[in-house]
Parts: sequence; C-alpha cells; structure tokens
Amino acid sequence: MKKITLATAAMAALVAVTAQAHGPTRRKTAESIEINAPADKVFKVAADWKDAGWMQGVTKTETQGDDPAKSKRTLTLKSGNTMVQTGGKYKPDDRLFMFYIDKVDVKDLPANDYSGTITVEPQGDAKSKVEWKAAFYRGYMNNDPPAELNDENSEKAVKAWMKQSLENLKAKVEKGS
Amino acid sequence: MIRARGPAARAAGLLLAASLLLAASLLPVASARAEPAREAVVTVQLGNAVEVVDLATRTVARRIPVDGAPAGIALSPDRRRAYVTRPEGHGLAVIDLDAGRVTAEVPLPGGPLGIAADPRGGTVYVADWYGTRLFVLVERDGALALDGEIAVGASPSGIAVSPDGATLYVANREADTVSVVDARARRETAVIPVGQHPFGITLDPAAGRAYTANVTGDDVSVIDLTTAREIGRVPTGRRPYVVALAAGRGFVTNQYANSVTAFDLATLKPLAEIEVGDHPEGIAADPETGRLYVADWGDNALTVIDARTLKTVSEIPVGNGPRAFGDFLR
Repeated sequence: MKKITLATAAMAALVAVTAQAHGPTRRKTAESIEINAPADKVFKVAADWKDAGWMQGVTKTETQGDDPAKSKRTLTLKSGNTMVQTGGKYKPDDRLFMFYIDKVDVKDLPANDYSGTITVEPQGDAKSKVEWKAAFYRGYMNNDPPAELNDENSEKAVKAWMKQSLENLKAKVEKGS
Repeated sequence: MIRARGPAARAAGLLLAASLLLAASLLPVASARAEPAREAVVTVQLGNAVEVVDLATRTVARRIPVDGAPAGIALSPDRRRAYVTRPEGHGLAVIDLDAGRVTAEVPLPGGPLGIAADPRGGTVYVADWYGTRLFVLVERDGALALDGEIAVGASPSGIAVSPDGATLYVANREADTVSVVDARARRETAVIPVGQHPFGITLDPAAGRAYTANVTGDDVSVIDLTTAREIGRVPTGRRPYVVALAAGRGFVTNQYANSVTAFDLATLKPLAEIEVGDHPEGIAADPETGRLYVADWGDNALTVIDARTLKTVSEIPVGNGPRAFGDFLR
C-alpha cells in the first residue's frame, strides 16, 4: 500500500514537472470597455485586491498577503475550482494594475502563463475607458493540440472571459456598489 | 596526398589536421565583424514573418513571409543567410537575407525552437522544446539536412557554440541544468545544475564564462566554463529570458517586468533596471557601437539601448509579436 502511494506520488511529481512546459507561441489579446463613472472610481474596483468578484465566474476572493504588486490571492470559481493569481504591478497614479494567473484549470480558462494588464483612462470627468491587455500560452501544453485547446480556440475563450468580466465591472461600477 | 597510405602518412595527416584545428580555434570568430551592425533580422512570430530592419533608417526594409510561428534565429558565419525555427510548422526555414526570400525548408519532428550555428559554418543545431534532444543539421552541396541527434536535458531551449565550434552549451529549461556537449563526438560530457528554468544562454569566451537566464527563478546563473560549475547568481526582474553582453556589462530581458536588468560582469551586481516595451524577449548586442536591440513582443517594437549610458535611445516599430530568440544582428 505504502509502495503504491509512493509510486503515485512519484508519478504525480513527474506529471507536475513535465506539465510546466508550455506551447511555443505566446498569444496576445485585448479588450476594452467604456464605463459611465470617473476613472479613479473605476480603477478602485478593478484593482481591488480583496475582491475580484467582477471577474467572470469568481464567487469568492481569498488573499494571501495585502500587496497587490506581489501578493497572491485564491479565487473560487463557479465550477468549484480555484484560480490563483499573483499581483505584478500596482500603480494607482497611472491607474495600472498587472497580475498573473499562476494556476487555473484549462476547463475554466484555457490559458497557461497568463499575464494581464489593466489600465483605466479618463474620458472627461464622468466617463472612463478600461483597457485590458493579456499575454498567455494556449490551454494545451504539448505539441499538436486538440482543437478545443489550440491557439485559436484558447484565444477565443480567453477573449470571451475578459469581455464578460469587463461587462460585469461596468455593471458593478455603474450600479454604484 | 589523399591516396597516401601507411603509419607515417596517417601521422602526417593527423598532424596537419591538428594544426588546422589549432589555427581554426585561434581565429577571432564572433568579433570578426569590425563594422557596426546594419540590420536586425527579427522573427515576427504572430505575424508569421521574418523582418529585416535597417538600423540606420529605423525601418523595416524587407518582410519575408515564414509560416509556422517563426521564433528562433541563427545566422551563417558570413551573415548572408538566416536559419529560422518554425515550432508550429515543425521545421526550419533557410533565408537568403540579401535576396529577401526563403531558399529552403527543412522539416523537423518535435518542437524546434532554440537554434545556433557553428561559427565555422556547415552545421546548425536545433533544440527540441518538447523533447530531450538537439537536432544536428549539416550542409552538403549547399543543402542543409538532418544528420543526427544529441541527447541533452528536458526542454532544451537556448544553445551557445564555442568560437572553435568544439563545444555546445545548452540550457535545459525543465531540467534546471546546462548541458556541455562535445560537438564532434555529439555527446553530452557534463551537466551543470543552474537555477529554475534556464532559457537563453550566452557565452563570454574571452572571460571563460556563460550566462543563462532562469525564467522562474528571477535570476541569472553565471557559469565558469573551465570548471563547468555555477559560480554566481545575479538577481533580475520577473521572468528573465535572454542575456546579452556589451561594454563589460550583462543585459537581461525581463518578460514580466517590461524591463532590462543591467549588471556588472566583474562584480555581478545589478547596475540599473531599464524600462523597455511590453514582454521583452530576444536581445542582442552590437560590440562595435555598444548598442543593444531588444524585441518587445507585446508592443511590436525593437527598443535600442546604449550599453554605456544605460538609457534607451530609440524604438523601432516592427510586426506582430517579435521574438528574435538567437543571434539576429548583421
């Protein structure tokens, strides 16, 4: 029994190691939205380290550290799985927030080594424009990916997640919550 | 001469071969280019092209379509041809840079990504990102063809060749090691443990050192080539990728920090963090001008840095998703 456990653990470790390689072509995508609220107010919600509820599918945010420029947070998703994010840059003066996705199930988001940069620009006093740029590798780590996890479909799914998230952000901010 | 037989003739032949090898190893190879680089040859991965950038006018002079997500690049010793890996096309393209066209395609299995050319010519080495091997491609009658493989560590990435062509150094991303390879015997002779996930590897032959960027370790491993041992670490920004050397300094692209870390090659201490474009990847130095050229994957540009002032000089727009992973100045 013990032997089996060890063998299983060894195999899991092996899988974990080999699974770290990613596809050879990093993809990029971007989404933006106009929100009827001042830029500072929008940035406060978008870069709220303690609440990522506006990101599509997120039901709970648990932080491991308070620094949005480098701490980690664990987001619980509707599927019951989690998404682990690490803060990358947090510049309130530039209204810029950058984060990485360290861990996510490809069924929830078909992306590896995802990094996202969100900026908020004022459009007059009462409006703002949110831009979200992302870089990632496709959902399938290895050569010759299955269709659902190839470059094109991974990009489509990531873009849809970002678009829906921005619509959630807009609804949340404009509702005034 | 060719028909000579017997021990004396063999000994003479060996002696001749040995002295030729010695002469070859004494030739200054990488520094043979005495004039400043005129062009940067940039793999534009998402644009499926190779772009030749005129460094004087700061414009793309020629755009050569290359499908299969071109990524890695090496140049022939006369710098007239480029060898470009196509990881999604599973192969390699040979480009005549003056004519501006693909002259040959060599299909390869696996995920061809990292690439380096023997400075003496005739041989090109390609790393299989999904495997544990290098492909050896040899030129015969003007055509490059697969001639064998060399077993190395997991996910080999960057390859560096010693100026005499005798030794290869390979960064094995998933194995956290650097392989030392006897090029003639096509055999790994030593394995050097380094930091986490080494990617690019750069030689400083005069100083007897190699530098490899540890992508997830956020540092650079400094290797002594004589003892085949790691002798130091340099802290970098997030996700360091490739190292270039100029003016007694090392320069590392930090993919996640949108910056280049400059460090002193003598003290191995960081000197400055220079802001560049989004997701910087390939970097190359022009020893004649002390200029560095950085491929900004996210912003579709080359950032030019002055190695002495540690400041950016200019930015040159290029196509979508420049990688330029390898030797790309001529």
